[in-house]
Amino acid sequence: MYPIQSPRHLTRRQLLQWSGLSGMGLLLGGCGATLFSDRLNQVVEPLNQTVEELLLRPDSPVPEFPISAIEPDKLLINTFDVTPQIDPTTFRLTLNGEVNYPMQLSMAELQTMPLTSMVIRHVCVEGWAAIVQWGGVRLRDLATLVQPKPGVRYVYFESADGYYESWDLASSLHPQTLMVYQKNGEPLSVDNGAPIRLASPIKLGYKQSKWVTRIFFTNHLLSQKGYWEDRGYEWFAGL
Amino acid sequence: MSASEPSKSLKRSSIPGQAVLAKTFHWVNLISLVMMIASGLQIYNANPVFGGRAGWHFPKVLLLGGWLAGGRHWHFAMMWFFAINLLVYGLYIALTRRWQRRFVSSSDIQALQVGRNPKRKMYARHRLVYTAIIPVLLLAIATGLAMYKPAHLYWLSGLFGSWQTLRIVHFMTVPIVVLFTVVHSLLALKVGRFRLIKSMFS
Repeated sequence: MYPIQSPRHLTRRQLLQWSGLSGMGLLLGGCGATLFSDRLNQVVEPLNQTVEELLLRPDSPVPEFPISAIEPDKLLINTFDVTPQIDPTTFRLTLNGEVNYPMQLSMAELQTMPLTSMVIRHVCVEGWAAIVQWGGVRLRDLATLVQPKPGVRYVYFESADGYYESWDLASSLHPQTLMVYQKNGEPLSVDNGAPIRLASPIKLGYKQSKWVTRIFFTNHLLSQKGYWEDRGYEWFAGL
Repeated sequence: MSASEPSKSLKRSSIPGQAVLAKTFHWVNLISLVMMIASGLQIYNANPVFGGRAGWHFPKVLLLGGWLAGGRHWHFAMMWFFAINLLVYGLYIALTRRWQRRFVSSSDIQALQVGRNPKRKMYARHRLVYTAIIPVLLLAIATGLAMYKPAHLYWLSGLFGSWQTLRIVHFMTVPIVVLFTVVHSLLALKVGRFRLIKSMFS
């Protein structure tokens, strides 16, 4: 059997070849690329996230660097919008959601809690990294105070500038996931997130919210997962 | 139809046979590497390895993903194809002892040093070049993993000293691979003319 051929019609083979080529063109060219890479990510992100969750060791700290390794000039300032000015004397950190004891803590109260200091590598999604010393309160100590209910699986962080983030509970309770108010031995500067921000060696920089005002424990991930995640970045972002 | 058959089969037999797995490796490696490089350059542009934000950026035509997040999605999708393909090929050449027969050997080194047959020398040079790219591909994976999971693989990241060294080594595999592709193709042309290249990709 010969396929019916006429010069005006494409054979099935030609059609497939042409559609393949134009598909590649759309895929590799300009606007098609973003659309297609979002689709691609819908397939690949669950796989990569499973691997990242398997790699996460919730209780073992990441080896730290000596004080001498700190790179003060390497930590770049990234902000999505404005830099909020917060009065630390009237500031209250709200902890609520699915917890037994919701509470609001002042900076003075937070600073009476055990201080944890760590020298870790802060890794930005853009490719740069900086070795930084952070000092503050373990998030797991705060969780111990408010007592999340048994079904809690996620933690949300709201910031004064409108930034928002969500983390898996295991990463939030990691011993090096801190709410910090010190950087490189100094009080945290406004640009770096004063009065208090999130810091951890186990997640990319955009997960580490600055100017945190509310920590919210929840059973479910909401449709809004995080400022950058809702624009296409991966959610787990584990290191 | 029947008249053209004999000449066709004659032509076929003059093309060297290549193992299916060797052909598959070449196809998957070529496509995944092109995509790894294009998406890698997209990531590079977010904060150039050389010069930071003020540094030189790659032109858009070479990039894949549209922006940083898209570039990362491509990079961390294609890494599976690239790495698993290399792993399967590694197991294949180890199990079939192709490693001993098809890659550079002491007799090739000898031919290059004291040999007088120019064809034999060209053949040896080609085997040396395509053997030498394997550690570079492995290095690309090692440095990539060291930056993708630096907290988990802290010992691997630590091997390279500073983060900047890690970035430079990872990036340098790109020009090396591009240069290799050109040299590998030219040497294959010299050793076996176009039919050798055709045999690997058809």
